[in-house]
Amino acid sequence: MAEHKLRQIAIYGKGGIGKSTTTQNLTAGLAELEKNVLVVGCDPKADSTRLLLGGLAQRTVLDTLREEGEEVELNKIMKPGFKGIKCVESGGPEPGVGCAGRGIITSIGLLERLGAYTEELDYVFYDVLGDVVCGGFAMPIREGKAKEIYIVASGEMMALYAANNIAKGIQKYAKKGGVRLGGIICNSRNVDREIELLKAFSEELGTQLIYLVPRDNIVQRAEIRKKTVIEYQPESHQAVEYRELARKIEENQYFVIPKPMTQERLEEILVEYGLMDLVEEYHI
Amino acid sequence: MSTLIEQPRYACALAAQQTVLAIPNSHPIVHAGPGCSSKAFGFAAFGAGFQGEGYAGGSHVSCTNSSEQEVVFGGENKLRDTITGALKILNGDLFVVLTGCTSDIVGDDSISVAKEFATEGYPVVGAETAGFKGNSYYGHEVVVNAIIEQFVGDIKPQVQEGLVNVFSVVPYQDPYWRGDLEGIKNLLEKIGLKVNILFGESSAGVSEWKDIPNAEFNLLLSPWVGLDTVKLLEEKYKTPFLHYPVFPVGAQETSRFLREVGKFVELDEKKVELVIGKEEKRFYDYFISISDFIAEYRNNLPVELYTVADSTYGIGVSSYLVNELGFIPKGIYAIDDPQNSIQETLNDILLSRGGEFKDTFKVEADGGLIEADIRKKIGESKKAIILGSSWEKFLAEETNNLYTYLSVPLHETVILNKSYVGYTGGLSLIEDLYSSLFKRKTTTSRTQLFTN
Repeated sequence: MAEHKLRQIAIYGKGGIGKSTTTQNLTAGLAELEKNVLVVGCDPKADSTRLLLGGLAQRTVLDTLREEGEEVELNKIMKPGFKGIKCVESGGPEPGVGCAGRGIITSIGLLERLGAYTEELDYVFYDVLGDVVCGGFAMPIREGKAKEIYIVASGEMMALYAANNIAKGIQKYAKKGGVRLGGIICNSRNVDREIELLKAFSEELGTQLIYLVPRDNIVQRAEIRKKTVIEYQPESHQAVEYRELARKIEENQYFVIPKPMTQERLEEILVEYGLMDLVEEYHI
Repeated sequence: MSTLIEQPRYACALAAQQTVLAIPNSHPIVHAGPGCSSKAFGFAAFGAGFQGEGYAGGSHVSCTNSSEQEVVFGGENKLRDTITGALKILNGDLFVVLTGCTSDIVGDDSISVAKEFATEGYPVVGAETAGFKGNSYYGHEVVVNAIIEQFVGDIKPQVQEGLVNVFSVVPYQDPYWRGDLEGIKNLLEKIGLKVNILFGESSAGVSEWKDIPNAEFNLLLSPWVGLDTVKLLEEKYKTPFLHYPVFPVGAQETSRFLREVGKFVELDEKKVELVIGKEEKRFYDYFISISDFIAEYRNNLPVELYTVADSTYGIGVSSYLVNELGFIPKGIYAIDDPQNSIQETLNDILLSRGGEFKDTFKVEADGGLIEADIRKKIGESKKAIILGSSWEKFLAEETNNLYTYLSVPLHETVILNKSYVGYTGGLSLIEDLYSSLFKRKTTTSRTQLFTN
């Protein structure tokens, strides 16, 4: 029997790109493959596990810590969701106060102390808010945490700017530790020549476009019902797409230290694939 | 300034809690983690000649003791609770909220919280004094300016002839501040001025601060610390200021200082000269009486001068010792880390006190580098005296030279109202300098000093 190995994965990407939706649908796909998964939401909004739990159904680690101190039971902050996926929300301060980055460090530290990372887990997913803005948001990729990172992006310019910036953060940690980029997940916005652009972008970073998730309004319909697409309409085409993404992740062997590009090179690629033309032609 | 320094000579901006404590019946409220306030106290008061805690200082400073909770979720509520508690429990005329690094990094709007209380009529002021923003000197200015802006406020001045606000040494950072400010106040009163000294035992406290806008002029008795304050007051209340950069020590410097002040505020010259004449007579009568001692021990007396102090104290003391006692300046080190742009001005000020000071002045916050420089210059000499901190005591003893205490850190002396300012301060410095000769050797005559 092969040695059981826990894979810890962090998902990064520009705010609003669909990290949480993708992570939850992807983990639902992994759960269908009988995988034992823990999802840790690293966002003060605490909405990374909503689709797996059928709503914002649990208290966050930090709220619990604030109200009850450090003597908390694991089951108070970790709830089972779709197909037994363990769900944790780090939580954080109210908008505009305190330090959300430190909150993530505190929260992950507490999860470790409480023994959330059990041996039977196959996967831990960290769904991290937006960009790697400060040390706190890099906590999931510090030594001993996630070794694999996927960046969710689209063919939109700002998504690629953000992805390149995130790659800089990954490179910094990769050089001193074992963290590697597993690929780019394209959450399609139906931008012209999106797949070519994303492939070229991924290649320039030294990684792969691991999957392109097509745009489908069924995702939004499922979200309104607080479900993943896989749970909401398991037979739908989009559910098949997410299962395929899960399979790709499960089988992925291609991990690299990314080579983030200069701003000039990034813009060259954007121009090459026609994006700049679109920007210039855009008038209000 | 070096990136890594040895033998630090100042604390962080939060040490301005001592500035608040220096105002009679005023109390700091520190919004920081556990330890920050204690360390500031340890350096600036305990390590400055054991100056005492006072009513709400030392281990009694009101503090939010912010922990991880306040870092993650913000500490404004805890600060609100702490201010409420302090106002309830402490009897005070003024409360100043001072922030530490954590609260300023996470972005607590502590000044606004302080203003909430001020709006309700409580004497509460807020100042951001995170350590990463600057040192003790910076923190002092920030706090003084915050009190002026938020507590004294926008009022129409009722100018009183002859009233002066004095901004000079930084309380506690200058270990002799209490005696110094008392001495400056006495001198100015002698020439007919009414003085808001603002800090220490000779200050009336908050009423003096409220009186600031009514002054005829502001006196800045320091090369650079406080310059922002007097400029602020000029802008806010149209009060003119006299910037006199040399701290007056001994007869020549003090007489020069009094003449300059008198001229600036157009005091009766005859009256000023009368005071100067009387003071100088007294000074030189005492001064002459050391001639027997000098004759007896002339071969044992120190002649090479090293001064390690901030630019306020160091320049004034050095000028006195060189010009009135004949010391040869070897190294004058300013430890207050002024901006680069001021360093040349400081050198010019020193040079204006004598050509002997050429190539002696250095701005250096790193005590290790100061020590190395003194070692190099001192060589095999046994004729030096180093005026500085406890660090310089070690160096002086090791090189078999003499020392006198002038700047922090000072862990081996007790200071109450000692001062080297003015005529009396100059005499006091002579006593300490020459008595240092006997600190390491018990003797009743110069022959014993030779043979021991």
